[in-house]
This record gives sequence, C-alpha cells and structure tokens, in this order.
Amino acid sequence: MSGDALLWLTFCLIGMTTVATRGSFILLGERARLPPVVQRLLRYAPAAALAGLVMPDLLLDDGALDPLNPKLAAGLVVVLVATRWRNPWLPFVCGMGVLLLLRRGLGW
Amino acid sequence: MNPAFRDGAREGIRDFMPMSVGLLPWAVVTGIAMVSAGLSPLQAAGMNLIVYAGTAQLGTLPLLASGAPLWLIVLTALALNLRFVIFSAALAPAFHDYGLARRLASSYLLVDGVFAMCTERLLKADDPHWRWGYYLGPSLWVWTLWQLFTLAGVLGAGIVPQGWSLEFMATIALLVMMLPMSRTRPMLVAALAGGIATVLLRGLPLRLGLIAGIAVGILAGFAAEHGLQKRGAR
Repeated sequence: MSGDALLWLTFCLIGMTTVATRGSFILLGERARLPPVVQRLLRYAPAAALAGLVMPDLLLDDGALDPLNPKLAAGLVVVLVATRWRNPWLPFVCGMGVLLLLRRGLGW
Repeated sequence: MNPAFRDGAREGIRDFMPMSVGLLPWAVVTGIAMVSAGLSPLQAAGMNLIVYAGTAQLGTLPLLASGAPLWLIVLTALALNLRFVIFSAALAPAFHDYGLARRLASSYLLVDGVFAMCTERLLKADDPHWRWGYYLGPSLWVWTLWQLFTLAGVLGAGIVPQGWSLEFMATIALLVMMLPMSRTRPMLVAALAGGIATVLLRGLPLRLGLIAGIAVGILAGFAAEHGLQKRGAR
C-alpha cells in the first residue's frame, strides 16, 4: 500500500474511534448501561494518555533521558502561565517564545 | 423551519457563545500541527473532516510523523476518545425519540464544549424539535469554527519559515488540555503515573510503552481514588 493510501486509511480508522465512542450510547439507546466501575476506569484514560504523549517529549532527547532541555523549560512555563491566567492564547505564545529564545537565541 | 427548532438553535448558540473564543487557539494550533507533521493542506482538511476531534488529532500527529504502527495510532486515538463514552451515556436519553440518521449526526458532532454547556437543558426539555435545535445549533457552529480556523492554521503554518519548532505547538496544546483534567488528586496521580510509566517503558518492543503507560495511569488513578475514599471513610 502506498504511503498516501495508508494515511487516509489511518484517518478513517481514527475517525471511527471518534464516532464509535461518541455514538456508543447515543446509537444504542437507553437499553445499554455502563457499569459504574467501568465508568470510573474510563475517566482516567484521557489524562493518562495525554501525559503519556507529553512527558516523553519533554523529558527525552533522542530516546535518552535528558531532564535539562529547552522543551522541559518551555513546558514548565506553559504550566505556570496556563494555571495562572485564563487567556487561551498565552500558553502558546509564552511556550513557543521560551523554546525559540533558548534554542535559536541562546543556541541550547 | 419549525419555530421550536429555531428557538432551540438560537438559545443553544447563545448559551454556547462564551466558549467559542477558547476554541480558536485549539483549531489554529491543530492546523499548524498537521502541517508540521508533514500533511499536505488536502490531507489536513481530510483529517479534520473525517476525524473531527482535536485531542485525537493532536495526540496522533506525533505518532503519524514518527511512522508509528497503525494499531498503536488507533489505540492511542481510542484512549484519548474514551471520555466520549461517558458523555454519550449521559446524553443518550435526550436522543431517545430520534431516528438513526439524527443519532449518527449527533454522534459525529458531539464535542466537549457543547456537552458541558448544553446537557442539562437538553435532558430537561420535552419538545423534540426544540431539543434538536438546541443541540444542532451550537454543534454546527463549533464544527464551522473548527473547520475555518484549522484551515487558517494550515495556511498560516505554511508561511512560517522552517526551523521554528512549530511541532512543539502540539505538545503545548496537549499539556494545556491535561491541566484542568488533573485538578483532582486521583486524576493527577493517573497523569503522573501514566507519563512516568511511558517514559520508563519506552524500550518495550512494538512501541508498547505508550499503551502500557496509559494502562498504568488508569490503574494508578483508580487505586488513588480508592485509597482516598478509604481514608475519608475512616
């Protein structure tokens, strides 16, 4: 399969997870009920998945642990800004600003 | 057009309006991230139409760019979307008297913001026309905003010169999304455990580290919830 066809197939499969999860109970109707234990387990999946995507990017450099890197510094600034101010653009502006300053300005 | 439907749509859009502004940076950043991951404008538009889920799009882009296997990408998207199962269960009674076409359309259109703002009134309303308007109005408004502003991001990213580390925008977006989620202690435990486990398990074959890390996070959060309950009960 060519790369382009594989990419569109990937989109369709990801899209299916979107409609399948969103539609799960809407499509089934009220006959189905989710056991409370499963509901409580499911609540933790997105936070765990987000952290599983973010933390390696902030802590690893080429697969090796490297806590002292510009991306982690930028990430910490993002956390600080996002928890302190409600402006939705600010974390992006400050995070990218710090990263570019450290990488391009100071050559880190 | 049915007057109850029109009223519902108007009220739904009005109720949702304050959340609209917060949506724009996500859309723009998702557009930028798609280009940074190597998608052409056509592919980006296609992903946006087919997937239509910011978190799943932003989360799978780094995996797409690094050539991760298909099953890992799909499983990760599924984990990121699992919260919708709960939304769907909560919202389903509001659609009980609708046919399959409306149920399918409302499934594709369901997003966090509309769920958060509109569920309460939807479940209370009796008139099916009003309900349909109240759901469809803000949902289509979000859909339109999302498509337009991701396109702005796609076109804007093309102008920015190479070497500006624009791919980091996706990480910032995921990080900002994680923060309000981690406000309760068990959630914070789930996030920290999931992240640290993924880092530590990165050497696992078949890139199982991410999936294993997510599983560790879920169990850690659940265990923390139980531990806190026990302590509170004593």
